[in-house]
Amino acid sequence: MKKNILKHYLGVSGLAFVGMALLPQMALAADTDKPKTEQKNATGNGGGGMPREKSFAKISSEKWTGARLADGQPDVSGFWSNTIGNHGNFTDPQGGIINDPNPNRIPKGARADRAPSRVSDPIDGQVPFQPWALEKVKEFQVKFHDPTTQNFVEPLARCAPGGVPKSLYWHGYEIKQYPNYVVFFFDSGTRIIHLDDKAHLPSKIKLWNGDSRGHWEGNTLVVDVSNHNGKALFGRSGEFISENGHIEEHYIFNKENTRYNYEAVFTDPTVYTKSFTVTIPERRWTVTDKPDGWNFDVWFAKDSAGKTTIEHEERICTENNGGFGLGAV
Amino acid sequence: MNTLSIKKSSKSALALGLLLAFSFSDVAVAADKKIPRLEGKPDFSGIWQTTSAADYDLEPHSNRKNTPPSAGIVEGGLIPYLPDAFAKKQKNFEARETLDPALKGYTLGVPRSVYYPEPFQIFQRKQDLTLVHQLGHSVRTIYTNGTPHPEDANDWWLGDSRGHWEGDTLVVDVKHFNDKTWLDKAGNFHSDAFHVVEKWAFLDANTIEYKATIEDPKVYSRPWNINVILYRHREKDFQLIEDYRFTLDYDEFYPPKQ
Repeated sequence: MKKNILKHYLGVSGLAFVGMALLPQMALAADTDKPKTEQKNATGNGGGGMPREKSFAKISSEKWTGARLADGQPDVSGFWSNTIGNHGNFTDPQGGIINDPNPNRIPKGARADRAPSRVSDPIDGQVPFQPWALEKVKEFQVKFHDPTTQNFVEPLARCAPGGVPKSLYWHGYEIKQYPNYVVFFFDSGTRIIHLDDKAHLPSKIKLWNGDSRGHWEGNTLVVDVSNHNGKALFGRSGEFISENGHIEEHYIFNKENTRYNYEAVFTDPTVYTKSFTVTIPERRWTVTDKPDGWNFDVWFAKDSAGKTTIEHEERICTENNGGFGLGAV
Repeated sequence: MNTLSIKKSSKSALALGLLLAFSFSDVAVAADKKIPRLEGKPDFSGIWQTTSAADYDLEPHSNRKNTPPSAGIVEGGLIPYLPDAFAKKQKNFEARETLDPALKGYTLGVPRSVYYPEPFQIFQRKQDLTLVHQLGHSVRTIYTNGTPHPEDANDWWLGDSRGHWEGDTLVVDVKHFNDKTWLDKAGNFHSDAFHVVEKWAFLDANTIEYKATIEDPKVYSRPWNINVILYRHREKDFQLIEDYRFTLDYDEFYPPKQ
């Protein structure tokens, strides 16, 4: 009998976050819980730690020339992750956690040497918060490191769904497609995007992942997200949207079907002074890549035709009686 | 108007005649054509839910506070507990208002996730069926691509599901469970030796008959069977609404308030 604990929540950043005294036994737990098949079948030249691109190319919206599913959708199903960093810092993705008390975790060097802010417009890379909201974010960035009240705990650390957009730059995830649906299977929740033009849920219903309505325009999946509960922060840096917010997302896939850029416009008259654009680069992972325990946390299997397939651990968090990283509160 | 009606009637009569002719020659084939199919197999895509009281108590029971009466869904009526296990079930029952894992919004396990009284959605492809349960948006993948159970598996909340088709019935072997889930609100339980074989089959295009054979040598004296009916949600624009109930304990602390 094996106990399925912690493994899922101890990727590179999780470990960096755990108190030093806990490191040895946790690293051990992570190692021993890895399915053996993962080691045995690991091939290819990918993986080997977190990808940390410092820059990435723009992908233009254009017509789709790649494979399609029976219902006509561009076939973008498979495993994906972001390429620049996790949710430690929203606007300086490789900048470490703001106000981190451990100076060894703060990157040295110039800002220009690191990946750009996920806020691509306005040009200063900052969320155009109203003064009251900026004050709340700054307060969170200080108290996050020693939360004296519940509201300074990052909700993802308590297993809450990552929400929009954070789920796209936490662990790797899978996209599956069906007639009228694109479904994102995150380790921190499931996001069902409806393609059938039905109206949004009544506005009284508020959700961690919002309510998503999408359609394809060539190589671009366009998604309208409303019904936010405003509770999912954008990262350990505390940025947020409120219940009145609205997000218009563009998932723009490249010709080779190996990358997409997420470009989304965030609007919220109660929190921001104006709309702003978030851009997040994402890459595909395949059977030729090596599972890395974070962005591509899978194992391989063989189907009846002898073809290698990719399988993923059960998505569990709150049931293990502790969020990822434990110390990351 | 009259002409139109007559034409319609003759068409209907013709259709009825053809239907009868085919029905008598091959009833199975006629029924067969009415169910949705994907790659030649029954297509269970859709949103499903039981109307049974199974989740209150799998066994026959009279009404109790907050529990409707029900004849139960266990073939033969009672679960064949081993003596020690029966004592544990009794304890679970007494403490059910606090111990039921579902109260915490935890992943329900198999088969409880199938007859828990909230909708779940089946997303089907040739190689797999992915079940998304409204409660917790828990995800179970049933592989139908011939992949075996993993050799060195963890103990999972939902187990590991490998399916194959026997005619129009989806047969799913589920094992590698932990011992943390309950089978219902009444404290019926299992150990980590739990093993479930499910059979999913259409009764008609909007109704699934779900059967499961359940065994666990640490808890039951012999395998036993359950049987529930699942109905398709056909309300206009019906959709799952995320129900991450475990977040309610800290819901009030977010988002920041002006």
